[in-house]
Amino acid sequence: MSRLPLPSHDQAPPLARGWYRPDGCASALTRSLANAPDLMETLMPFLGVIMGESSIDLPTKELVILRVSQLNGCRYCLAAHRPIARAAGLSDEQLEGICGTGPGGALDERHRAILAWVDQVTLDAPGVTDQLAAQTLDHVRDDELIELTVLAGTITMLNQYCTAFDIPAPEAGQ
Amino acid sequence: MTDTRDRIREAIADGSMGERLWLYATYHCNLACVYCLTESSPRIDRRRMLTPEAMARAAGEAADLGLTCVGITGGEAFMLPWMPEALADIASVLPTVVLTNATLFTPPLLDRLAPLARYDFAVQISLDSDQPSRNDELRGPRNFARVMDAIPRLRDHGIRVRIATTVEHQTEDELGRLCELHRALGIPDDDHVVRSVVRRGRAAVAGLGVDLGPTDVLPELTITADGAFLHPFAPTVRHGRTDIDLLVSRQTTPLTHAADKFIRIVSGLPAGADVVRNIR
Repeated sequence: MSRLPLPSHDQAPPLARGWYRPDGCASALTRSLANAPDLMETLMPFLGVIMGESSIDLPTKELVILRVSQLNGCRYCLAAHRPIARAAGLSDEQLEGICGTGPGGALDERHRAILAWVDQVTLDAPGVTDQLAAQTLDHVRDDELIELTVLAGTITMLNQYCTAFDIPAPEAGQ
Repeated sequence: MTDTRDRIREAIADGSMGERLWLYATYHCNLACVYCLTESSPRIDRRRMLTPEAMARAAGEAADLGLTCVGITGGEAFMLPWMPEALADIASVLPTVVLTNATLFTPPLLDRLAPLARYDFAVQISLDSDQPSRNDELRGPRNFARVMDAIPRLRDHGIRVRIATTVEHQTEDELGRLCELHRALGIPDDDHVVRSVVRRGRAAVAGLGVDLGPTDVLPELTITADGAFLHPFAPTVRHGRTDIDLLVSRQTTPLTHAADKFIRIVSGLPAGADVVRNIR
């Protein structure tokens, strides 16, 4: 049960309604954010950029999103992003490796290096070493590591938000 | 700022928004009217109010943006002890009307209002019937008598008085008699506003009033302690929670920030039916 109101399209502030889908539906996360439309106007475009495809492909973005959500134990984000990750091209075997529920062998060396970076940043950022940074930069450019690190931090913020407010996780097929 | 001011000027000129800035001084009230949009009463938990400094600053910024007048509402504005001086500050910048139930006008308070006579300033008093029992049924015990007492005393202090009647069950005969009454009190027809109960807030809980469609009310930038809203019928409260369906912005400082978002919403609205419905 959400600790926040989840307004429908017609209950939402006018400037928040543009973030609902054409059929008037929206995710529970979007509906909860509609309570603060000013914030939404800044946050939603940012999320679109940080989660969207760039020089970093979508499977890699989803890999980071799922891994961080798994580490933070966010039911909402895991349920919302598993189907998106599959649609982006990650296999069930890779998903199990990302979520730590199966062997990581299905992941290539680049993805394993990124996961090692994301794990350290999410669980113990002061523990990042020069060696870990150098190892990660063997696989991604500086600007890409910046983007992935900002993505990881953003996902932690969303994980905390969804968990603290008990935003109801989407059911399969939603 | 210039762009927002230009767009506001155009919107006012083409009739798609009103030229008044509304300020919700407080949600606190000494009455608990059955149709109150904001569930105001003496016993509300959160009296949320604008400070006098915030109200004066908003009025100044409104003038810079091209708005031409200010309305002060609530709640009951005169629950706030500093209201007469705050009104003088605002009225020195823009023509001002303050909405009130007129039940708190003691002689000392009237004396503090007297300096406002030099400005374009009016007190708009709610009065719903020419019959005390009918009026008091909606607005509380002894309300009619207090209003009848306040009107001549305000006018004696040089204060312009307007009457606002909120229509729910009144007959045409009753409204006709009410007009005779306000004329007898020296208040011309142009200073008598008649509008419907709007089915929001406490009125919605009680099943009173008319439903508002998106084009039924002329948009007028409305500032409360909860944020900026699309019109003065928007920041309603139901079961203690402020409705957000007509929330423009939670940020109201600077006013340009809220005005910019307001004008973006207004420019997306279809032409209104507010003139027909007389909900202003």
